Amino acid sequence: MSGNPTRRDVLATAARTTVVAGLAGAAAFLVRKAQGQVVWQVDAAKCVNSRLGEVGVEVCGRCVTECVVSLSAVRAVNEYSKCGRCAICPAYFNITSAVDELGLPSEKRCPRDAIQRKPIGKVDPEDPANNYFEYVIDEEKCDGCGKCVMGCKEPLGLGSIVLRVRYNRCVDCNRCAISMACPKDALMKIPVEEALKAVQIERQS
Amino acid sequence: MAVLFLSLTSAPSVYGQAIQYERPIEAAPQQEDIGAGYVTPEVQKPRPRDYWLQVLDVVLLAAALGISVWIVVRRRSRKGLVALSIGCLAYFGFYREGCICPVGSIQNVVVSLTDPHYSIPIVVTATFFLPLVVALFFGRAFCGGVCALGAMQELVVLKPIEVPRRLDQALGLLKYVYLGLAIWIALQPAATRDFLICRFDPFVGFFRRTGFPHMLMIGGGFLLVGMFVGRPYCRYLCPYGSLLAWCSRLAKWGVTVNPSTELECGLCTGSCPYGAIERRRAVRRKCLYCARCYAACPHVGELARAKADLVTISPPG
Repeated sequence: MSGNPTRRDVLATAARTTVVAGLAGAAAFLVRKAQGQVVWQVDAAKCVNSRLGEVGVEVCGRCVTECVVSLSAVRAVNEYSKCGRCAICPAYFNITSAVDELGLPSEKRCPRDAIQRKPIGKVDPEDPANNYFEYVIDEEKCDGCGKCVMGCKEPLGLGSIVLRVRYNRCVDCNRCAISMACPKDALMKIPVEEALKAVQIERQS
Repeated sequence: MAVLFLSLTSAPSVYGQAIQYERPIEAAPQQEDIGAGYVTPEVQKPRPRDYWLQVLDVVLLAAALGISVWIVVRRRSRKGLVALSIGCLAYFGFYREGCICPVGSIQNVVVSLTDPHYSIPIVVTATFFLPLVVALFFGRAFCGGVCALGAMQELVVLKPIEVPRRLDQALGLLKYVYLGLAIWIALQPAATRDFLICRFDPFVGFFRRTGFPHMLMIGGGFLLVGMFVGRPYCRYLCPYGSLLAWCSRLAKWGVTVNPSTELECGLCTGSCPYGAIERRRAVRRKCLYCARCYAACPHVGELARAKADLVTISPPG
């Protein structure tokens, strides 16, 4: 190669420098604008399964069927601080089913048997209203169908069980497939810090 | 607060006496109400992927781009390039499940540039810009060594036919149409906005081992066609490929078929499945960095070394 650059080389260098400057400008704009990570989360106040006051409606199971990962990233979560710890939990039992020999409903609500019922302390059979039970949802079994969520709300429950996006499974799609199918537009993007700390998650702005 | 009032007296009973259970509660019992040393358990809150792992993705992307340039431009090694692209397919494709990738990030960048309420993390910005800057200097190093979508197709090239020049050019325009369409749909107001490139991503369903039937069928179709038409998605549809093609026109270094060192034998032209060698010169905007031309060249790479062996063995006596 000769030492003198050709006219073409000079033009290419000029064009390249211009484009690099343009890209750098755009990148700088985006970096200045950048905020922390935002993630998908379910707004419990909108989700038809958990929305208090909305009774007599069908359980919505779209979180199970629409998510792009094979076992949905949405799971039922029991916020223990809000749980009534009832002896006969309307989310755990199908309370309209026949009563068995122990006096408890014979059917469970969860189709995957993902909820464990453990007594807290001593159980007094004579005084069921003052017995407490812990209801723990096995995250590996739960597929987010929402049946227990629907059971745990007015008029029977306190609404402690809600559907939540689990970030160990969510792949953070640009447009969450569940959000596109959700009849109540309950999927929202919120800063990850909010999603991890809040007990009751509400839509921002 | 509603009063919890649960009564089972009305439930049908098959085993005689049903227990009476009425429990008016206005609020959930807390630790102190339950007593006996009860501690409210922690609610599980799985965290998203750690930030340093996201940064690691960007570092690996940059490293893979650098290695791709070095292997192809300096080493001219087809074998090294195949090894690199399989590695990237395993990591960015099957391990990271195809997300995030520069191809889809076009939409996020466009939305973030125009919508004041939308911003993207710095790692996404880096993912989008790094391959473009490399293309400005070295050509489409991303396509050959790094892109998982490209690697899927690269591995199925079986008996590539030569696409007639006119048809090749006409089909090549499709990717600009697709780019325009994807940007236009991403620019819609937030409620109606869509991410077309991700929705019709041909191979992400394979990477996740699950997906919508239409995605898996599109992917399977591209792999089938790809056996006979080299890398059809990259050449005719990839929207990021069109940006890389523009940038690589200005590339200073890159894949060259060089008149002062090569033979002008034309073996390279026949070896290129992507029609990127025209009149025995590499066309930067079409070159997908596969290094097949170097593997076919009697002057470089493995073939040249094999010949040298042959020469030293063959003289009689």
